[in-house]
Amino acid sequence: MESLIRAWRLAHVEENGKLLASTISLTNTDLEEFAYSTNSARVAEDIFRALEYENNSARPKITNKNGLEAWAEVYVAFWKVSQSLERYDEVEWGQVFTGMKDLTQAVIRGFQNSGWEVWALEVLYTACKYLRYVAIRADEAKRAEGEDAWKQLEEAARIINRAFNVCLNDRAELAQSRKWGTYYIINLLFKTYFKLNAITLSKNILKALVANTTEMPDLLSFRTSDIVTFKYYCGVIAFLDEDYFKAEEHLEMAYKLCHKDAQKNKELILTYLIPTKLLTRRQLPSATLLKPHPSLEALFLPLARCIKDGDLRGYDEYLAKGEDWFVKKRIFLTLERGRDITLRNLFRKVYLAAGESKTRIPVDHFRAAVSWKSGVDVETEEVECFLANMMYKGYIKGYISRERGMVVLSGTNAFPNPSNTS
Amino acid sequence: MSSKDSKTPKPEETKEPKAVKKMLEEDDEFEDFPAEEWEEDETEVPGGGKPNLWEESWDDDDLSEDFSKQLREELKRVDAQKASGEMQR
Repeated sequence: MESLIRAWRLAHVEENGKLLASTISLTNTDLEEFAYSTNSARVAEDIFRALEYENNSARPKITNKNGLEAWAEVYVAFWKVSQSLERYDEVEWGQVFTGMKDLTQAVIRGFQNSGWEVWALEVLYTACKYLRYVAIRADEAKRAEGEDAWKQLEEAARIINRAFNVCLNDRAELAQSRKWGTYYIINLLFKTYFKLNAITLSKNILKALVANTTEMPDLLSFRTSDIVTFKYYCGVIAFLDEDYFKAEEHLEMAYKLCHKDAQKNKELILTYLIPTKLLTRRQLPSATLLKPHPSLEALFLPLARCIKDGDLRGYDEYLAKGEDWFVKKRIFLTLERGRDITLRNLFRKVYLAAGESKTRIPVDHFRAAVSWKSGVDVETEEVECFLANMMYKGYIKGYISRERGMVVLSGTNAFPNPSNTS
Repeated sequence: MSSKDSKTPKPEETKEPKAVKKMLEEDDEFEDFPAEEWEEDETEVPGGGKPNLWEESWDDDDLSEDFSKQLREELKRVDAQKASGEMQR
């Protein structure tokens, strides 16, 4: 216990947030020693004395009696956590979670009532981060027994939400404000709400944030890791809302600023950015972009090739092949709209094959192309319907002359450049 | 616990208990970055940008001979089919 509490003093003397946070981390190397250093009858007193001892040996003293009590609550909770983790052969995660709840709530109180300063925010981050992890473990244990819920994670979300408000609503001047903790905590909440499948709650957070922007420092002045994570989740939220232009903006920024070695995160961003850009710009990922990501390459590159070739059957086949994953990622319906672009490209090829200057092309030519590329003989009426649809959507400029069985195309720009139309 | 041995505080988090490590590897989630801050030259797309990340969704190359040829064949097939269909009527 001594080394842990000594680190507490040292961290305060140096105003070292990381060191302070390490004293409540589940990965602290002294966790086992701490668990065995006292017992439940003595723990409160032992910890208070240890804190008092370190406080007295600091010049000037770190805090007063009330301040020591606030910290004692934290470490008593942490001791319970350490004990549940270290002293049993099989970890009872529900018990660990109860301890983590006490710990996190004590930390939130410390910031709210005991004047803990902004350099110590790492403590809040660490508490909330492990609270969430432990809640997931505890729920997973329950789920393994057949319970179908995320009750403990929901509880954790409510506590982290309090931490969010403690950061967001701090009125201290900016340099000393807990507002600097806002984005880290928001990102934890996003991760939690996504796991709970409660995207609406994420939107509530964004609303609360917008209502507070006047006093909030610019996003770009936060840590890059906070920015990228935040932008990723905003992008996915906009994507699920089918607000693709907004999604594109968020996801592009996340991708650009993402650390170049963060392979998994880059793949997550691209998973949504690729379907997004297909709709907003009708652009496809290049081979260069996909090459470093074999799993994405395997799924998206054949689709991209089919779109370019106007290969309708191939597109349907590759879409079906990746369906499980696409559905799981919630990008299936968006990718399905790529079929329109495939069809548009096929029709454009028919137009080019007829010779650039031709503006009247028999419907039968389009019918032949669709039959060939879809592997199904389609009726004239069906093709007319496809063509009308393309015209309606602005992919093709022209009209159908049914009496003559002709498509009459605009003399200029009959297949408008997609990037300029949307 | 009042004995003050010479053990120094260990701020570094070197130990990753198995249980905790497993949690950190949760499969579908945006991961914590190994660092909190990084310079522009460590970002995926530094200032000048990267070329060729995205391309237009259609081929702007001249249409291949193959396509025109195959389309003509397909057209013949469709025509023949249509003719035989009309004969049956």
